[in-house]
Amino acid sequence: MNAAQVLNGLALGSLLMVLSSGLAMIYGLRGVANFAHGALYMSGAYIAYSVSDRMSFGAAIVIVPLALAVIGVVLELCFFRPLQHRSHIELGLITFGLALIVERVVILVWGEKTLRVVPPEFLQGTSTVFGVEYPSYRLAIIVIALALAAGLILWLRLSTVGLHIRAASQDIETASIMGINVDKVSLIVVSLGSALAGLAGTLAAPYIALDPGMGNAFLITVLIVVVVGGIGSIAGAMIAGMGLGLIQTLSTVWSPSFAVLVPYLALTIVLLWRPTGLAGKRIS
Amino acid sequence: MTTTAPADDITGEMVEPVVIKRRPGRMLFGLGVGIAVLLVGLAIPYVLTDTYRMSLVLDATILSMLALGIGFLARHLGMISLGHGAFFGVSAYAVGVGITNWGWSPLTAVGFGILVGSATALLMGVLVVRASGFGFLMLTLALSQALYQLSVQISARPWTGAHDGKLIAYEPDMTFLGLTQADLINPGLYWPFAWSALVISGIVLWMVGRSKFGTTLEGIRENEERMRFSGYNTFLPRLVAFVLSGAVASLGGALFALNAGYISPQILGFTQAGDSLIAALIGGFGIILGPVLGTFLFVYAQANFNFGGNLHLLTGIALIVVLVFMPGGITGALQKLSRRIRGKERR
Repeated sequence: MNAAQVLNGLALGSLLMVLSSGLAMIYGLRGVANFAHGALYMSGAYIAYSVSDRMSFGAAIVIVPLALAVIGVVLELCFFRPLQHRSHIELGLITFGLALIVERVVILVWGEKTLRVVPPEFLQGTSTVFGVEYPSYRLAIIVIALALAAGLILWLRLSTVGLHIRAASQDIETASIMGINVDKVSLIVVSLGSALAGLAGTLAAPYIALDPGMGNAFLITVLIVVVVGGIGSIAGAMIAGMGLGLIQTLSTVWSPSFAVLVPYLALTIVLLWRPTGLAGKRIS
Repeated sequence: MTTTAPADDITGEMVEPVVIKRRPGRMLFGLGVGIAVLLVGLAIPYVLTDTYRMSLVLDATILSMLALGIGFLARHLGMISLGHGAFFGVSAYAVGVGITNWGWSPLTAVGFGILVGSATALLMGVLVVRASGFGFLMLTLALSQALYQLSVQISARPWTGAHDGKLIAYEPDMTFLGLTQADLINPGLYWPFAWSALVISGIVLWMVGRSKFGTTLEGIRENEERMRFSGYNTFLPRLVAFVLSGAVASLGGALFALNAGYISPQILGFTQAGDSLIAALIGGFGIILGPVLGTFLFVYAQANFNFGGNLHLLTGIALIVVLVFMPGGITGALQKLSRRIRGKERR
């Protein structure tokens, strides 16, 4: 086990962290596991490919989250809000249908072949950290993700909107009785969650190859991260995402066959031991 | 259970609560109808002489057993499973291993397949049936995906063929109840087995649903806590129902393996589990025929509308339309319609 492997784990954990914090926010507020989150992440990566092809990767980092935020607004206004009184499972299965549609649309637009995105020039080389040469771009992912996580947590803790989001995630009915505009909070959360999925897709684009199966491959892991972290807990999802990324990468070195089972084992053990997840407060 | 828990349960819209009057007459009547359907259905190969169409109907019949199992759990317990593909797949692999690796006769291998599939359901059931709502969905998904990951490992190659899939190789003189290997892949000749298996599973599940045990299950679906306080053990009935529905899926998987002769690793994949669940949802959970109807529609759509690989675009749209506008699925909508017509006639 050397520093490069630890850094690889941190890079994967960073992606999982960004992706799962978006999913956890939506899950916490609407009570719905958004099965379309993987598809949003994938479309974010593909849009990033087109934008960085025509303009630059820097532009993609700004444009893609904005575009995905708009998709999030559509998602909230067309599905989550009108159907909020349906059972959560039904709503979850509707997002499953949405994921199938988005996946196909991505293939129709961009084709099925594997695409590559080139990172910006100043991040193409390697840097020396802890005595090892390590790709600069992956370091940038780690830095961006950690900064984002810190910013998100501070925003949720310190701002008024953050307070409203936390209140509504605890108990949406009481929050609305107390005068919080739950519809507005939900709109912010769903569009922010989608934007985070888009950002994760953009960050992942130069790191992994783009193919139409990338969303599904990550979706299951990210759903597991959110459940393990504790439903409704964004910090829990972040810690679980980072932890899972590290454990999975490091156990790959030890035994690749075991590593692919790590997320599933983690979910089973955590749900049996603590049904509400590691940071879940609501004990059932 | 917290006060927020009922939002995760399926009540009302997806599964219409039905008041079951347990009269022995109705049971016998249903049994009679089932046997009649079984006998009439045996004639289908004589009507449908086109081999391609016949093979589609056969595929749909075998896959229906998977959807039937999913539908049974959803109807009686309100539990939506994404893991039943595992029992179907594990059973199919077990048949393949029995015949190819151990040289067993196909009949023994089918028995072994059902046994292994049901044992998998028992093991998984012990872990998952305590969960409800999303927890159940996620656990069944996670455990079945763990099995998929195991099946495609290089170290599993002698058993499952890993990513290459498993080709079932028979000894030349082997037969399954009089059918040679060539007969098994002939849809017309294989039909009686698949059809009888489906109808008999359907009848068994229907009768179980109408028995005292079925009523207990519905009590647990409506309010697990109250059932527990009323002195019922709620774990065991859920486990038994889970294993029963898993056994039906295993039967389907074993019959699938014999007919197909080849098992693709995708059988345990996320897509297969999702497709079956979607088919069952579109058909509707309200009555036992719903998931079967949904599977037939799905196989039909797969054969006829899959131009350029757009099947999932269509199933995605169909799933959303059904869930948003007719939450009981197609059979649920039909039931509502017939009830409305009958209601008007009475007035």
